[in-house]
Amino acid sequence: MLKNNNFIERSIMGALSFLKESVFADEYALRKGLLQSLDPRIKAATFLLFIIQAILIKDILILLCLYALCLSLACLSKINLGFFLKRTWIFIPLFSLFIAIPALFSVFTPGETLAVIDLLGFKLIITRQGFFGALLFVTRVITSVSFAVLLSITTKHFELLKALRIFKVPQIFVMILGMCYRYIYLFMEIIENTYTAIKSRVGLEVHYKRGQRIVALNIAFLWYRSYRLNEEVYNAMLSRGYDGEPVILHDFKTSAKDWLWLFFVIILFMGLTYLGAKARV
Amino acid sequence: MHIPDGYLGPATCGIFYAIMLPIWTAASRIVKKTLKARQVPLLAIGAAFSFVIMMFNVPIPGGSTGHAVGGVLVAILLGPWAASIAITVALVVQALLFGDGGITAIGANCFNMAFVLPFTGYYVYKAISYNASADSSRRMLAAGAAGYIGINVAAFLAGVEFGLQPLLCHTANGQALYCPYGLKIAVPAMAGEHLLIFGWVEAVVTALVVKYLQKEAPEVIEEGGM
Repeated sequence: MLKNNNFIERSIMGALSFLKESVFADEYALRKGLLQSLDPRIKAATFLLFIIQAILIKDILILLCLYALCLSLACLSKINLGFFLKRTWIFIPLFSLFIAIPALFSVFTPGETLAVIDLLGFKLIITRQGFFGALLFVTRVITSVSFAVLLSITTKHFELLKALRIFKVPQIFVMILGMCYRYIYLFMEIIENTYTAIKSRVGLEVHYKRGQRIVALNIAFLWYRSYRLNEEVYNAMLSRGYDGEPVILHDFKTSAKDWLWLFFVIILFMGLTYLGAKARV
Repeated sequence: MHIPDGYLGPATCGIFYAIMLPIWTAASRIVKKTLKARQVPLLAIGAAFSFVIMMFNVPIPGGSTGHAVGGVLVAILLGPWAASIAITVALVVQALLFGDGGITAIGANCFNMAFVLPFTGYYVYKAISYNASADSSRRMLAAGAAGYIGINVAAFLAGVEFGLQPLLCHTANGQALYCPYGLKIAVPAMAGEHLLIFGWVEAVVTALVVKYLQKEAPEVIEEGGM
């Protein structure tokens, strides 16, 4: 994607907002709300069902009900609705809305005429197929993105990665995911510090060719540091008992509330599937 | 390049999960066989590196900035199979924790960015840099060409995946259920922006990083490509 801004400032802001967002997400995951109290494994499985349902539904009204349910769950989980709407609409659904606009018109989506816009003598025809197709597309995107974001901000990230075991993800992948997650923060801090140092030494006005060289040098340096870090990390793993096979601690516990939630979601999934099938007939 | 949830229909998502399953299995087996025990953390570091490369803003003419995917670079540094695992992990973290790329589209995203991109790029790099010494400038050119070709092939496939949706999933009266644009619009849109802009960003970043590593840490280039 293209961004019209200074790359040094933007890199610092990007790293900072990434770290800030993670702190916010952790804060929400620690609140005592409905979703935070659920077992991460069951929550992950049920949210996958919600997202699959959002992909399967072909009726706009049923999809809107699912989106309303997502917003209600956010409120019940003590998530600030303004924060949640901002977090979910920016960037993917807004981008989807933007790219869906041309699909409204007969030039891109031929069909029955729904409305005609007279633009300086040039008639633009909005078709029924174009309008409802675009509406369904944007609603589907925002609903699935909202469920994915809700899952990630109501669950501690490390627990969410560990919960992947219920999908039979091999332990080696779960271990790599957990380690990768930690390194991302380390690397983000390195980027932020590096660009702050560059800003203080060369300022913000850099010719794009020199800028490209700065970025490439930073990526190369980051890889070199990471590569050298490998040895130290391996020694640290050995000193903690790593013998070639990853061991993931089992510390999740389910309660009656989790099973009740699972039951509710399965019934809802079946109900929505039935309603969807009925709407098609 | 990251396909969000809602753009692809359930059948397309399912097919790409089915395609990726044997690729992930093969990648795990091959990497387990070739990777020395002490290089295990390198996969996690490689995954975090793949994640972070996408966060770098690369300046382009006109005062704008773009992003590189870095898949070919990771393949040159780690080898295509290890890169496939590292990029998959990065894409899963992005989709699951940061909402970047869809959860149902992980199969399709991994096919484009963790399979097609690193493998195409890696073999283009290997073919052009065949028999070249670690400090040869041919390696830098090979890396640039590999980055450009790799990202363009991946973008073309993403365009095809988008463009097939109105054909595969629509109502009786022709209303699209997922991505509303057909092949004639989706493919040129995806391919065009990558051929003209993002392909060059990828090429410049990949080539310059290889050049710096050749100069400052040639052993990394020599040891790479497990």
